[in-house]
Amino acid sequence: MMRRTALNSIVAIGLGLSASAALAGGLSGVEAAKDRQVHFKEMGKAMKTIFDQLKSGAPDQSLIKVQTALIADHAKALPSWFPADSGPSTGVKMQALPVVWTDKANFAEKAHNLQIAAAKLNAVAQAGSTAEFMPALKATGDACKSCHETFRQKDPD
Amino acid sequence: MILGASGGGEAETPLRPVRVWDLPTRLVHWLIAALVPFSWWSATHDHLSWHRLSGYVLMGLLAFRLIWGVVGSSTARFSRFVAGPRTVLAYTRGRLGEGRIGHNPLGGWSVIALLTVLALQIGLGLFAVDEDAIEAGPLSKFVSFDTGRAITHWHHEIFWVLVALITVHLVAILIYTLRRKTLVGPMITGVARLSPSLAAPALASRTRVIIAAALAASLTWFVAHGLSFRT
Repeated sequence: MMRRTALNSIVAIGLGLSASAALAGGLSGVEAAKDRQVHFKEMGKAMKTIFDQLKSGAPDQSLIKVQTALIADHAKALPSWFPADSGPSTGVKMQALPVVWTDKANFAEKAHNLQIAAAKLNAVAQAGSTAEFMPALKATGDACKSCHETFRQKDPD
Repeated sequence: MILGASGGGEAETPLRPVRVWDLPTRLVHWLIAALVPFSWWSATHDHLSWHRLSGYVLMGLLAFRLIWGVVGSSTARFSRFVAGPRTVLAYTRGRLGEGRIGHNPLGGWSVIALLTVLALQIGLGLFAVDEDAIEAGPLSKFVSFDTGRAITHWHHEIFWVLVALITVHLVAILIYTLRRKTLVGPMITGVARLSPSLAAPALASRTRVIIAAALAASLTWFVAHGLSFRT
């Protein structure tokens, strides 16, 4: 009888854990880490597309708007890409440093700075304000860099 | 025969000073020697604007050196110092003696190797893209983000090949110094003390320097602007 109860409890706890994992998006730490890298690359590609358009001499405004929207959306979601179990212990090759998960307050602040800058950039782009675009783009780039300085391992020399 | 070697202390025949390296060749050499370390430093300390600028100057110097290797003073010309394998082998076995001006058959290949890897390194840098795409080479617009990132990886790797070649270069200079042949002095002053039996090299005119420099600078400007004439 006692054994049965204990077993039930274990099953219940197990179900409860899977349920909460499902609520959190159902991603394992490994999946979260890999998804995160895909998302960051999407942001990198979006930035590159913007810069390439600016260099082209005849920038495609609608293409730029798509990129700024993606960057703003991704920035909004960014803090959720780093669940506690998605760090280096996953074994996934990553440049995210452990400090992401230890200095949470600072990380959250950097992410917040990016959200503000990216939202502004997107608003400026959608409004078609060319004068404000470059400063907003620079602010967004600076937000990327400032976080990478602390929380992303540099590329090897 | 070691007699006739520049800077040899044991010379019995009187040596005469000869202008072996012209000013453009020496200037290009020392600017490359200064800018390669500077490029590495600026890249590792997040001064990417300086890194790009340094790369452009290096590209101009390299372009000049390649042009100079065809139309420059005789000691700078590839046709004068690029030797076949037999000559190189004979030189390493000490069968050729020292009766020459300019690069020896082995050193000539060291120059080719250094210039080739430097060209490769500069070429990769033109297409490089950093992780947030904010810093990028002037030709990165012709490649995708992923390709640009892969090229950046190779830009990092090739640097160490360059470091290896520079190390070989420095060790060779040390070995020649121990054998009482100074190479550094002539590369600074341009003048080496040589046997009178050796004919002095033909130095290229100033007009050629100006034309070669203008060509190299225009090419670099064009590439730095993303293969465009827009400013």
